[in-house]
Amino acid sequence: MERVVAKQLIKGNEAIVKAAILAGCRAFYGYPITPASEIAEAAALYLPQVGGTFLQAESEVAAINMVYGAAAAGVRAMTASSGPGLSLMQEGISYLAGAELPCVIADIMRGGPGLGNIAPEQGDYHQMVHGGGHGNYRTLVLAPSSVQEMFDLTWLAFRLADDYRNPVVVLADGYIGQMMEPVEFPNQVVQPPRKPWAVEGTAATRRNLITSIYLEPDALEEHIRHLEAKYRRAEQHEARAELWRTEDADVVLVGYGIVGRILKAVVEQARAEGLAWGLLRPITLYPFPVAPLLQLSQQARAFFVVELSTGQLLDDVRLTLQGRTPIEFYGRAGGNVPTAEEVFEFVREHAPRFAPVALPEGRVALV
Amino acid sequence: MTKAEMDRGLVELNSEECKGCGLCVEACPPHVLRLSESLNRYGVHPVSYDGAGCTGCGICFFVCPEPGAITVLRAAALKPEDSAVEAAA
Repeated sequence: MERVVAKQLIKGNEAIVKAAILAGCRAFYGYPITPASEIAEAAALYLPQVGGTFLQAESEVAAINMVYGAAAAGVRAMTASSGPGLSLMQEGISYLAGAELPCVIADIMRGGPGLGNIAPEQGDYHQMVHGGGHGNYRTLVLAPSSVQEMFDLTWLAFRLADDYRNPVVVLADGYIGQMMEPVEFPNQVVQPPRKPWAVEGTAATRRNLITSIYLEPDALEEHIRHLEAKYRRAEQHEARAELWRTEDADVVLVGYGIVGRILKAVVEQARAEGLAWGLLRPITLYPFPVAPLLQLSQQARAFFVVELSTGQLLDDVRLTLQGRTPIEFYGRAGGNVPTAEEVFEFVREHAPRFAPVALPEGRVALV
Repeated sequence: MTKAEMDRGLVELNSEECKGCGLCVEACPPHVLRLSESLNRYGVHPVSYDGAGCTGCGICFFVCPEPGAITVLRAAALKPEDSAVEAAA
């Protein structure tokens, strides 16, 4: 993506809308919810200016089904919400995945469960990454950690959605949604290619069928295998992670989104004290960055997973490492965000428990 | 009230839109915002303004996650023609 020199100081939520418009999105359906409301606000302001549609639906259930309609018509469409709203949308997301419709869904996570509160949390990890809806499907999930990434990953999300004909989630938290940072914009507007499968209400597309119903078990299994193959392809090509100071790290911190930034400060402090810590920040949560994690498991004596939830990212790290390397966990929840100092003290206290394994001379650890 | 005593700004709060997150209270440079003792109809303690001391900086507006909850008015110097109208009135 080429960039212009001009920068704007904007909120993370606004960056999502500006990225969507420059990526060719012309339809937004949503229902306001704190801390995602500025997305609807900005969409209501900007989409009509480019000939797009903004519609405040009567509920999140309606909004996601409007996205289904727009996506079926071949339009780049999106919605945005926060935890409780996403829970309501899960049925629609399953239908979108089943019907292979591309769309972008932004989740600005807040405290849960239930009504919870409006402070930043990462408790939607399971419902968005492992699919909160029914059936054999996955959503691609991108996790920005800055306002610039809110822009860049939303932009990328529209391309991935079209490439894989699948819903793509931008999973951020109230922190990144609310904070303001300078953002650089690309100097081009995407003209999305026409979709030959779309139903445009014309004679040419009359025979196109968008559906998720396959009453014959064999036909449905074939469809599910087709979806599965698509997810395997995404796992091979789309996994992304930021590795920071991991070249010689013997302790690796793992965290995404706003936590990734806190962990950078932690690693910096550790390095200043001569401790060889590094950071792995997943940028895609599905596909999970399995390869770099496995690579680091060959040199690290322990992984420290940190998240604003009670052990959700932790599950994927465990599944990836499968006991190869010890994992320690630090999670805050309810809208509390740990300070770098707090995390540093925790890791410094627990890291010595994981001494490097002393092998007899000439023996090599099998990974 | 003399001109020097006049506040440079005025903050208008829609307490029914406020979710009581307190971001504005924390961000307000002259510390003239606080969470009210009373509840709004959603059962949260909404933000309230002390009634004096607003500088019109607008930081509370920018940090607020609720579209429409905070409006900041800035005092503008009167133009000579406005003073004339005022004097005539």
